[in-house]
Amino acid sequence: MNGRAGWRRLVHGGLLVVTTLYCVFPIYFMFVQSLKTAQEDVFGNPWIVVNPTLENFEELFERKGQAHNFVGRVLQRDYPFFVWLQNTLVIFGGSVAITLVAGVLAAYGLGRLQPPGFRWWRRAIFATYVVPHTILFVPLYQVVIRLGLDDNLFVLLLVYPTMALPFCVWILSAYFQHLPRAIEESALVEGASRVTAFVRVVLPMSRPVLVAAGIFALGTIASDFTLASVFLLSAHNQTIPAGLATMEVALDELLAVAGINLMAIPVVLVCAMFARGYVRGLTAAMVEGA
Amino acid sequence: MSSRGREVWWAYGLMAPALVLMVGVMAYPVGWEAWVSLTDLSPLNDGPAKFVGLENYRRLAGDVQFWWAATVTVVFAVVTSAVKLAVGVGFAMLLARPFRGRALVFLAIFLPWAYPASVSVIGWYWTLNPPIPTAYSAFMSSMKASVDHALGGGAWAFLSVTLFNVWRGSSFIGVFLLAGINAIPPELFDCARLECSGWRRFWLVTVPLLRPFLALAVFLSLTTAFSDLANVWMLTAGRIVFPVIGTQAYWLAIKGGQFGPACALALVLVPFLLAALVVLFRSFDPPAEARA
Repeated sequence: MNGRAGWRRLVHGGLLVVTTLYCVFPIYFMFVQSLKTAQEDVFGNPWIVVNPTLENFEELFERKGQAHNFVGRVLQRDYPFFVWLQNTLVIFGGSVAITLVAGVLAAYGLGRLQPPGFRWWRRAIFATYVVPHTILFVPLYQVVIRLGLDDNLFVLLLVYPTMALPFCVWILSAYFQHLPRAIEESALVEGASRVTAFVRVVLPMSRPVLVAAGIFALGTIASDFTLASVFLLSAHNQTIPAGLATMEVALDELLAVAGINLMAIPVVLVCAMFARGYVRGLTAAMVEGA
Repeated sequence: MSSRGREVWWAYGLMAPALVLMVGVMAYPVGWEAWVSLTDLSPLNDGPAKFVGLENYRRLAGDVQFWWAATVTVVFAVVTSAVKLAVGVGFAMLLARPFRGRALVFLAIFLPWAYPASVSVIGWYWTLNPPIPTAYSAFMSSMKASVDHALGGGAWAFLSVTLFNVWRGSSFIGVFLLAGINAIPPELFDCARLECSGWRRFWLVTVPLLRPFLALAVFLSLTTAFSDLANVWMLTAGRIVFPVIGTQAYWLAIKGGQFGPACALALVLVPFLLAALVVLFRSFDPPAEARA
């Protein structure tokens, strides 16, 4: 056996193990916490769970309507977790859908029909990323109140897409721009309208890029918690991140960790399902005529 | 109307929903911020806000605290971006060639970004700064105490922000650069393999070919680092010892009620980010003729 190649493989393998641990460990750690009983959380081994239990997850849904428990002299709140879950689904699904529809339309206009100065339009949309979100919510709140939308879930359906749109328009329009014209023209020659050609020919072809845009939008939207907690005040209007931020950590640590997992796992599964498409789409978008 | 003319109108029509959304949400807030940064607007003052010109900016320039926050912000952004980029490039190179189990390692690398930051940041905070006695809190508290002792109070919290930022960002950049590497024809690598080896190949072949991807990744990393108020806020539970510009502006506006200076503070970095963007556009959005 060749000594040098052997070393190489060892180093490569070692790097793979380190990489995987570095990426997965924090997630594993949070997952393990959520499976623990209160007893084990305090006295057990932090790295593993000996008696895994789903009671934290169950309690998330069952706390409502139950008699309030007293821990010491503090009242335990109950959380409308099921409502949070529904709100989160509506907001995430709706925002991704709005982002994709608005993004695809704009990208087709920019990349395919190429109005004068389309590069500058695209650059201008992308340049909105330099605006710091720091205290932008103060004036945004004024608009929201003027529109009578305060403490309304639908505000986020308007705000979230603007966080993901610039990047999505960028990759989608780059893709449309480099798609060979012949692809559509053959359909047009056969008498199809521009719209039919788009829906039947161009859209199916761009599936990977659409997946990439969708996953990027989902990842971006799911990472926000400031806006959600600023705009959604009453408990029955909150999404999971906003709701979790209001939890009493000292009392309900395990419950909150369960909530974290319950929100994260579906998002992660969706992302994992489309992970390969995501990479393929990014490649296709950045390479001309892919 | 010529068919080209119709096409252009169609283009504007198709762009309309996205533009209305962007302008509708951003225009007023940005305009408000720019205008207020030139006034002394504050709920604490009587009467309407007075126009003060560039006074707020001038006062910032003479403020020691501002320069401290600016230094921390720039150092934070540059250091985390450099580390994220280095780790991300490492991830991408690791995944570049096929091996057994590659799909699993790829998924692992994808996870930190896919795991919603809105909730993982809470988990990180509790893990590193345990709020109540848990099995690991003794260990974490002693870590915290020794780091804070060595570097000053709040250093541990700041370190945890940095760690979180790098953990999540390197995942995004790694996957993004992998997409870039996939775009490079393998023959090119094979040719380069014959010509030169190791580091030279990396600098002479891989990096130039990945340039558009690297530029885009750097830009996204910089903007998130500069505006990552939420993470700093959450991970330090508002107890901020190392202020960044974002947290300082938030503090001034929400706790201090001084909207004028706070807006000036929030906008200070915009010209620099725009300049960075203009430079980077040359890499990831070259003019059509140059794309051959």
